[in-house]
Amino acid sequence: MFPWSPEFVWDAYHVAFFGALYSVLATVAATLAFAAWRAWRDAREGRAAAIAWHGDFEELPRAARPCRHQLTGEAPGRTCGNGFDCRHCVEHARLEARRWSSGPTEPTDRVGFALPLDRLYHRGHTWVRPEPDGTLTVGLDDMARRLVGTPERVELPAAGERLQVNGPAGRIRTRGREVRVLSPVDGTVVEAAGEGAAFTLRVDPGGAPDLRHLLRGAEVPAWALRELERLQGALGSSALGAALADGGELVADVGAALPGDRYDAVLGDMLLEP
Amino acid sequence: MDERLLPRGRSRAPFGRFLLWLVPWAALLGVGLYAAYLCLALGLNQTNMDNRFAFGLWIYLDLTVIALGAGAFFTGFLLYVMKKRELAAVINSAVVIGFICYSGAVAILAIDVGQPLRAWFTFWHPNVHSMLTEVTFCLTCYLTVLAIEYLPLLLRNRQIKKRPSMLVFEFELHKVMAVFALVGTFLSFFHQGSLGGLYGVLQGRPFAYRDSLAAWPSTFFLFILSAAAVGPSFVLATTWIVQKVSGRTLVKREVFDLLARVSGSLLLVYVLAKSVDTLVWINHTSFALGVDPATFYAFAPFGTWALFAEIVLLGLVPALLLALPRTRRNPRLLVPAAFLACAGVAMNRFVMTVQTLALPTLAFDPFLSYTPSWQETASFLAVVAYGVILYSVSFRYLNLFPQERELASLPEA
Repeated sequence: MFPWSPEFVWDAYHVAFFGALYSVLATVAATLAFAAWRAWRDAREGRAAAIAWHGDFEELPRAARPCRHQLTGEAPGRTCGNGFDCRHCVEHARLEARRWSSGPTEPTDRVGFALPLDRLYHRGHTWVRPEPDGTLTVGLDDMARRLVGTPERVELPAAGERLQVNGPAGRIRTRGREVRVLSPVDGTVVEAAGEGAAFTLRVDPGGAPDLRHLLRGAEVPAWALRELERLQGALGSSALGAALADGGELVADVGAALPGDRYDAVLGDMLLEP
Repeated sequence: MDERLLPRGRSRAPFGRFLLWLVPWAALLGVGLYAAYLCLALGLNQTNMDNRFAFGLWIYLDLTVIALGAGAFFTGFLLYVMKKRELAAVINSAVVIGFICYSGAVAILAIDVGQPLRAWFTFWHPNVHSMLTEVTFCLTCYLTVLAIEYLPLLLRNRQIKKRPSMLVFEFELHKVMAVFALVGTFLSFFHQGSLGGLYGVLQGRPFAYRDSLAAWPSTFFLFILSAAAVGPSFVLATTWIVQKVSGRTLVKREVFDLLARVSGSLLLVYVLAKSVDTLVWINHTSFALGVDPATFYAFAPFGTWALFAEIVLLGLVPALLLALPRTRRNPRLLVPAAFLACAGVAMNRFVMTVQTLALPTLAFDPFLSYTPSWQETASFLAVVAYGVILYSVSFRYLNLFPQERELASLPEA
């Protein structure tokens, strides 16, 4: 551009001045193009779900990210830095090897909602039950069902759709608020069944499923108690702090007792969509 | 009505009340746009500037908002390059404020220079001997960088991030943000410097003229240093204002402490450099140009009080209050100190712009006075209104303060 301008002169001053300007413009344009190209590549390789979870996980407060081994007292104060995906966590493998007992297998009635221990749990309040035919059944746990109450709409993945761990496994609209459900497993949806919040998905994992990231045994009641604490914190006002009385049973429709914006926040807090 | 657009877990005023808050600002913006139209359509005769007083309210306030907007580049530099992670709590707000300051300054410059349809001439036929050419280039480049830095905030909006393509772009953009922070620092360094250098090379204006350090006059470095020093104070002050207006705690106490510490330390260095520069100017530069520096302060209202106010009252005092741990931990001193620091940079830009032009330069020159016309004032107030509106909308719909939600869930002390 400038060499054609009548004022331009080929001397060191002009070249350095415009060289600096165009270097800046080139750097900005190249960096922007690089980000756009990587975004296009991510989208093409189906990484959008993992990236969405990465963003959500980063936004979760520290209190919502305790390591599963912190819950059981094996690693006090430890916070998860792996997006609740223990399959690639070195520390998890080490702590798991030292664990001498998987804990109780009897149902617990201390948490105020049903918590059958014949299944595995995901931190996003879904459960997984391996079936004899090799498929996995996935559903919302009782706490999440009480949180969403009677939804106006439940959008579930259609048969044949691929699910990824921590990717979306559906969206629920309830009392005018919307929240997504995290998938606890990798696999292909075989069928969706059930009504409203009581839906289940049957998922074909395409081989032996890797379920190391899911909670089991003694971890489950410990996690449930912590989740109840988090719920108490989320329900409390900033002026009063936690206001839910201990004991008793969680109401069947939490949303009915809350104003809209607070309910929205509680849904996001508990189902890990900040 | 707009609940689906609001960030989750952040309580916001009802939509009607929000609109009511915007109405007076929108009215101010409307009046200012009309004034700007008059200036563009009828010319600079709508202003009270003339050939002798060619820099008025617009340039003075432009220089001030550009200095205050330095909070964006300097916070970005501290966060992405110096790895001061605590500043992640205010970087989004700093970027929005920087974008407002720079876009507002460019808009006002477009009115001042006139003929906006020929704005491209400055790039196609640049006057390479003018520091203003470098300023024009840097301002436009940095405004582009700020717009890019603003983009991820928009893309993280609750509804927009549902679109996978937007989400991945935001993610990848965030990963290269350090490059933009560095480019922003480079650009800011030069245009803040050139704005100062512009005055320092005015040999015909002995009040502003300064000796050169290497190729640049000392004002080049003083403008950079003062902008970097005051930027964090402005981020602190605006965050405090937003906290008061919204009635919410938005950042942790440590963040204010860090901003104050950085601002106070740099301000001390600036005050020292400015003092040395003033002493050299009084004892050497001014006499070398044949002018007794005492004559600069013989015209009311610009007495020596102005020099004292600029360097001591609005320089050294806030620098000490911000730098000393005991005073900066006292909220009753911290916030006023940040405001004083901002007032100090505004005073410096006022002195360099208005006092420089008001003082006579030849024996037969009168002392000039200038009062901005309503069109000048209204045009600038339109920029203020635009800033308030854009910031309010950003605060309502975007996640400007990542700590807000966590702090809202804590019981009040």
